[in-house]
Amino acid sequence: METSSIQEPFDLIRLSLSERVFVKLRGDRELTGILHAYDGHMNLIMSDVEETIMIVDEATTAVNVRDDDHEISRLIIEQVAKRKVEMLFVRGDGVILVSHRNSVLCALPLKSKQVSPPSRT
Amino acid sequence: MSFFGLPDRNLEEERERIRNGGLHENEDVAVYTWGEESYDGLGDALQEGGDDFNDETFGGTGAVGKDFDFSGQTRLLETQQSRATQQSKRPALDSTPSLESIWDDRSPFSVLPRENGASRQPHQHSQYSPFLESPILHQSSPSLSGARTVQEIEAEMRAAVQTRNASQRQQEQQQHALRLQEEQFLQEQALLERFAIEREEREREQLHIQALQRLQQQQAMQLRGQRTPPPRMLPVSQSPRFIDQRQLLLLQQQEEQQLQLRVQQHEAQLQEQLRMEDLERQLRAHQISQLNQGPTHFTHRRQQSGPTIAELRGRSRSPAAYRDFNVVPQSALQQRLLAELAQADYIRELQGVSQAEQEVLRAEAMRKIVETEKMEDKRRRKAAKIAHMSRYNDLMTQSDKDFITRIQVSQLVTPDPYADDFYAQVYGAILRSRMGLQSQDDRVLKFGSGGGISLGAPQKAPTRRPNAMQRMEQQVERIVNNARRREEEKGLHSLHSLQGALGKTSGRSYKAAPRQLLQVDDNGASSPTHPHPHISKEDAKDRDAAQEVARLSRETLGNHGGNVVRKDPLTHRQVLTILETLYDLVLKVEQMRRDQPLEEEGEIYERWKTECDAVVEQLWEGLQVMVPLETSNPHPFVSLLQPSKGKKLLPRLTRHIDHPRMLTLMTLLVACFTQMDVVKEAPLLDSLDESSERAETDRQTQAFLTSVLQSILPVVTKLELHIVTALLGLLIDRSENIGLLAQTKPGLALLTLFLSRVEVIKQAWATGAEPVDPISAAGYLEQWQAVFDQFFVLLTPHLLRLFPSSRIALQPHHPATVALAIDIIDQPVWQFLAALALQAVPEQHQVLVTSLREKVLENVVSANKGWVAGEEERRTKLANVNLFLHALGLDSSQITL
Repeated sequence: METSSIQEPFDLIRLSLSERVFVKLRGDRELTGILHAYDGHMNLIMSDVEETIMIVDEATTAVNVRDDDHEISRLIIEQVAKRKVEMLFVRGDGVILVSHRNSVLCALPLKSKQVSPPSRT
Repeated sequence: MSFFGLPDRNLEEERERIRNGGLHENEDVAVYTWGEESYDGLGDALQEGGDDFNDETFGGTGAVGKDFDFSGQTRLLETQQSRATQQSKRPALDSTPSLESIWDDRSPFSVLPRENGASRQPHQHSQYSPFLESPILHQSSPSLSGARTVQEIEAEMRAAVQTRNASQRQQEQQQHALRLQEEQFLQEQALLERFAIEREEREREQLHIQALQRLQQQQAMQLRGQRTPPPRMLPVSQSPRFIDQRQLLLLQQQEEQQLQLRVQQHEAQLQEQLRMEDLERQLRAHQISQLNQGPTHFTHRRQQSGPTIAELRGRSRSPAAYRDFNVVPQSALQQRLLAELAQADYIRELQGVSQAEQEVLRAEAMRKIVETEKMEDKRRRKAAKIAHMSRYNDLMTQSDKDFITRIQVSQLVTPDPYADDFYAQVYGAILRSRMGLQSQDDRVLKFGSGGGISLGAPQKAPTRRPNAMQRMEQQVERIVNNARRREEEKGLHSLHSLQGALGKTSGRSYKAAPRQLLQVDDNGASSPTHPHPHISKEDAKDRDAAQEVARLSRETLGNHGGNVVRKDPLTHRQVLTILETLYDLVLKVEQMRRDQPLEEEGEIYERWKTECDAVVEQLWEGLQVMVPLETSNPHPFVSLLQPSKGKKLLPRLTRHIDHPRMLTLMTLLVACFTQMDVVKEAPLLDSLDESSERAETDRQTQAFLTSVLQSILPVVTKLELHIVTALLGLLIDRSENIGLLAQTKPGLALLTLFLSRVEVIKQAWATGAEPVDPISAAGYLEQWQAVFDQFFVLLTPHLLRLFPSSRIALQPHHPATVALAIDIIDQPVWQFLAALALQAVPEQHQVLVTSLREKVLENVVSANKGWVAGEEERRTKLANVNLFLHALGLDSSQITL
């Protein structure tokens, strides 16, 4: 118990207990919420969760590339579904990454740049 | 018995005598002249070399019967030979009487050469010979000379046995058939009789019940007959050879079943049934023994396993085993009830009972029928379920079960059962206290020191199987002891205790598991030991709290020489790491407190105390309270309080810290109050915009108020006046704007705490509850008043803005309708103002009233004129105002508009 250090990857997750975390899941889903518990399978219990589901439809994006930029960005925004859950059990096999929220906030603008269409103006 | 009237002699003796040339000595045979040539002629006459006369000799041509008249056949030969010898004038063989005696001897051993020449006892032999008892050998004894081939003999034997068995079976079958016919007839007779009786006397329910029982058994039998055997019992059936075998068995079983059924139909009394069963079993055994004797040699060996299974199943199907296994067939019951009903109707019609009454009775009867049906249905379902489940009975042996239990239990055993099942334990404790039970020991199974198993929350009702629980406990105890021993042998890792629990891996596959390559050095940044350049522990311990405050104030006034090492504030990551360490320590201390030995135990207690103190010391150092104030901004301690779990840790942690240290902690908290995140972020709460930041700040503020302030509350309630004065002074000094600080929830709460503490002290002094030196008391009061005046002056311009409702209203883009809960938000402010008014001198009251007049009036007017959403809001508004007005000696009812 005296070992204050990080010995295995799970110790890093332990640091985030009862902190707000960002979780990336399979199936283009992302969660932010407060992590309450985890286990060796990466099953997570989270509260105050906001789930973001990216609905990536290749056909619509392909069509929209020919439209003007404004149209594309609008559609892409529409293709993100969000919902809030008070308490959530996340099964571990869908978890891709668990991260502290702050580091994700830094990453988010970068991602939005990628989403925004190539400049054709 | 000698044919020629010669004395009965031993062949060997005779032969010996001949060989020795003692022929002439034998007076009996001296009649014949013996010669070399004549001797050879006799051999020819006997025709020993050929088999031509075998048939004649052994009577192979005729049917083999039981009447073995060997002498009859041989006599012919004998006479021929003797005739021949006599014709040739040659003396008869000396051995002739011996030959006769050989045939006379019925024992098969008699043909074997007697080398030792021991005296023979043929009849004794035959008595003890096991072969003679065997009918097979007995029958085949004519072929003993080995003259015929084995196949021939076998065929003969088979034919004989088959014919005999067939005849026996036929006889038996005939007997059975006869008996069955008889039984059926009797049964029918009985039934007819019974019907007659029933018609006459319906009271004879007894018979009904008997009939029902019979039917029940019948159905049970059928049920069980349909039941498939457990899968394990049928492995041989895959081979095609055994299908025949099984079919045979099934046929046999069906026969038996039918037989049994018939028998049971007839025999109502259980005693008789049992007797019949015994009979059946004997019969079956007889059949089996017959089969074993049967000619089919290959099959019969296998059959030995077959009939035993059949027998077993037959036995298990017997009503004796399932006597209480009652299945009443629905149809039978229905029929019975309906019959009764019809009869009742009939009788009533005869008696002339009214129609309505009949209807009632009929309805009643219908209801009864339905009820019984339901019950029967239920019972049948239950029985079917049991029957279904019993398929798997005895699939596992007790040792199998024990083995599995052992594995399961070995996973449960932990070195610290309480902590591993912490939540269940706490829940159980709460539950127990709620149910009013005296708190027994923790629901933990402990085994000596160390290992144990947690039993979780208490059972409400006694368990269905207390036995199983006990058994498990015993087993667990054993396992734990074993595990402990193993652990002692193997060393530290708990992994080892489980190694081999599921069996050993063959080969060295587990050795090929990936090896650890990364060796992370953990002596890095997370170590909580920071230098304390100018505060040694000893100093800190006996330092007076006031001096501490003075020191901190001195430092804040810029008196920090070059000896303070400036550092970067802790990173978020560092904070989290330290917090985890602290949590570990807290858990450890809590565990130690639970294990506290009695003080009488002397040495053990001392050791425990030193250990405990050491951990608490670690905790204290981990909190970094003693780090110089100017080391960083925010101070490391404040950084630790930033995450909500840091705030929540504090009340758990401060329980273990003594009062002087807590005072230091609080002083630091006051000194660094403006560095707190909840203070810095507080303006966010004034916004009504829903944002994640606002939600986060709200969460943190709540955590601060409930955790941090709660943990310092016990300290505040013990503060002396001069220390409160010092703390307030420190707070004013450290914050750039005390007015802004008072606009935050945490700041307001802290100030309220201080003010109310001073009020409590003053009252205690006034009532004499707390004896105090009047001179020093006067000095303290003077000091306090000075600081308070300063505080009041600083606060006055912000008085109106203290109200969150005022601040929110100042933001124009929000509709006023949102501010519904505003009165609740304002409540702490009113409380604070009341406390402030209590401390204020009359001139300050003036200031207060003029500043807050507008707000008070607004509330009172809206309450009185009914500009409120409801009665509750009105009451809240008035109560808020009254809080403040009462402190001034006024009441809202005095305000007239």
